[in-house]
Amino acid sequence: MVGIVLISHSRHLADGAAELAGQIAGGARVVPAAGTEDGRLGTSTDRIAAAVALADTGDGVVLIPDLGSSVLSARALLDDLDAEPGGPRVALADAPFVEGAVAAAVAASGGLDLAAVAKAAEEARDVRKL
Amino acid sequence: MSASSDPRPATGVIQRVVVLPKHLHARPAGQVAQAAAGHQATTIDLVAGDRRANARSVLAVMALGAVSGSELRVVVTGPDAETVADQVVEILCRPEAESRQ
Repeated sequence: MVGIVLISHSRHLADGAAELAGQIAGGARVVPAAGTEDGRLGTSTDRIAAAVALADTGDGVVLIPDLGSSVLSARALLDDLDAEPGGPRVALADAPFVEGAVAAAVAASGGLDLAAVAKAAEEARDVRKL
Repeated sequence: MSASSDPRPATGVIQRVVVLPKHLHARPAGQVAQAAAGHQATTIDLVAGDRRANARSVLAVMALGAVSGSELRVVVTGPDAETVADQVVEILCRPEAESRQ
């Protein structure tokens, strides 16, 4: 199953979004990666790399960043992974954080592949809620 | 639970009409979308009043705003349409307590 990593500055935000997505999409593998090593607001490529390792079951991992340096950290990690052949397959999704997490989790738990799960996250942008 | 089934029309489209026993909120919407993801060759549309959602999109299904007691039309096109329609109707009509499991 494709794994999902939610990247945020805030542990509460990432933990809550992961909890919600996991509830709606039973069986999905959603791992939060947030905050700095010493528990402050911020992002850390080491924490994201650890979350990717936890989320990956061999089918790849979709990264969903919230904003700002979450995006930059995710990109930095992608560059690192590109430099290491044989590592996990990772896709960075340009998606709203909560809606993208929920859509990706449902797609992943339904058995879709990496590209389809990333697409599900990105399509969340176009769904109106009213 | 109430579901009425139409005889299969010549077009191969299966329709079911359900009176929802519960709101179609996040959790059942997720279950419907998971089921839809498992049938990629089949198109499942949910119709509530003048709104229509592809069941593959959990967000679109939630945005239908379909509430308990309202009528929902399930339109399935493609392989195994009948089986898929039955599966979706079962999810929609499953009692709330069971859908939490």
